[in-house]
Amino acid sequence: MGKILSIASKEIKTAFKDKAFLAVALLFLLLSILSVYIGSATKNAEITAYQDIVNLLKSQGATSIPAEPKIFPLSILKNIINYVAVIGSIVAIFLGFNSFSEEREEGTIKLLLSRPIYRDQLINGKLFGGAFVIAGLLIITLVFNCFLFTVVSGMNINFAEFSRLTVFFVFAFYYMISFYLASLFVSLKSQNSTFAFLLMLIIWMGVSYVIPQLAESQKNYVYVLNNISQTMNQMPQDTLISKTIEIFSPTVQFKNIGRDLLQVVPEHAQLSLFTLLKLNLRSIIYLLVPGLFMLFGSYNSFLKEGN
Amino acid sequence: MLVINSLTKNYDGFTAVDNLSFKVGEGEIFGFLGHNGAGKTTTISMLVSLIRPSSGSAEIAGYDVVKDNLKVRSMLGYLPENVNLYSNLTAFENLYFFGSLSGVENVEKRINEVLKDLEMHSWKDTKVREFSKGMRQRIGIAQALLHKPRILFLDEPTSGLDPQGTKSIRDLLLYINNKWNTTIFLNTHLLSEVKKICSSIGIISHGQLLMTDSLINIKKKFGSEKSLEDIYFRIEGDQNNGENTVYSI
Repeated sequence: MGKILSIASKEIKTAFKDKAFLAVALLFLLLSILSVYIGSATKNAEITAYQDIVNLLKSQGATSIPAEPKIFPLSILKNIINYVAVIGSIVAIFLGFNSFSEEREEGTIKLLLSRPIYRDQLINGKLFGGAFVIAGLLIITLVFNCFLFTVVSGMNINFAEFSRLTVFFVFAFYYMISFYLASLFVSLKSQNSTFAFLLMLIIWMGVSYVIPQLAESQKNYVYVLNNISQTMNQMPQDTLISKTIEIFSPTVQFKNIGRDLLQVVPEHAQLSLFTLLKLNLRSIIYLLVPGLFMLFGSYNSFLKEGN
Repeated sequence: MLVINSLTKNYDGFTAVDNLSFKVGEGEIFGFLGHNGAGKTTTISMLVSLIRPSSGSAEIAGYDVVKDNLKVRSMLGYLPENVNLYSNLTAFENLYFFGSLSGVENVEKRINEVLKDLEMHSWKDTKVREFSKGMRQRIGIAQALLHKPRILFLDEPTSGLDPQGTKSIRDLLLYINNKWNTTIFLNTHLLSEVKKICSSIGIISHGQLLMTDSLINIKKKFGSEKSLEDIYFRIEGDQNNGENTVYSI
């Protein structure tokens, strides 16, 4: 375990001395703070608008006052789902794309493997290091968000909502780790860090944009009449093909789980955490599989290299 | 200290190292000579357990490099060719990392000792990227010495160094050998280097060992008036002419 921790601690040290990684990590933190601010400001604007309407109606002598809009506290944080999905995955890629390829380029892999360590200890050490950095970043984000949320929106979250938020961050952690593992695997297979980075960017674009767009284009659209504004709204409906395509995008799965956990879907906003996880079981499995597959691939590939 | 028996490495039909057998005694500085692509690095990679031999065996201090690879790696120091270390980390951070991996006890104290021996102590908090090539090689040698290895494998340690840097590394190797009686296995294609510091040599060409012996015996065999260069080119020439003579006394 001592050797794994030594490797992990070296990875952490190296990450915090890498300016490119620090810039992306800082961007991620700033955007997450911004998401709380934007969410809270939007909620405050909605409440103010409601109060203005109520005051107007009262001044006109109206007796029927519309009900206060129901705002679920966690939905204020909904933008963070997209920031984790897009910037979070980039942070993980920056952290992992050169893990092995740079060791090869600099010749340090030979030094490492000539020490009395097993090859799987090297992967485990790198994985622990990456996981520690990602977890640290997410914990800072969680603490900051909870603090800002309370200060800016003036709302307090109860235990059930805090549990949902914590579970959301656990899934965010796994989602980012999946990209880190994919980067490790690509880095293991590449002799060149630039190639590994470009390949990871292509994978990221495919998983985050291309596949979701393909799935979107396969959806059926139904038209719904909006009675208030007397307009037609286009509503997308999942099809078997669109759902099948989405299986290949952990980003879509993460967003599905995230939307439910952060009370973005009103029908699921007050379900218990357990029920919510049961409802999202399929998405959870589809989110877990790619990361595990990459981890197994990395072990397999690196252990074979020694023969 | 080092016993090699019929060591062979094949890559998809190509034989990089072919049936090597020789011994290196404790406290020797052994020069492993050969042109680029002769099989020197492949041999050293098998000896430090980086790659597995296709057949044959090698033992370091009685331990098999494949079966007892962890034990073997704990008693050897290794400096590959053109290694840059972790350039973002300081010399101390690099050494601390490699020392921890080697299980060195009281690693900070040991780093200070080694850095003082190698006259690099005043540079310990400088990032490696700020070092000259020669200084990097010294730190590379320092990492190989941290765990007090019984044998040191160095792959072209003076490659890319200026004459001053080359001399300084050469002096350092002699100092290490004298002070701790560390066996040194030196891969090189520089005959001058071998002549100045090695007690015995092996010559490899196209994966095959052409000759192995002490420098004194070689001089006796080929005539003391001949330079090492003449001897080397004669042996290489014999192989290229298809004579395949293995010189061994």
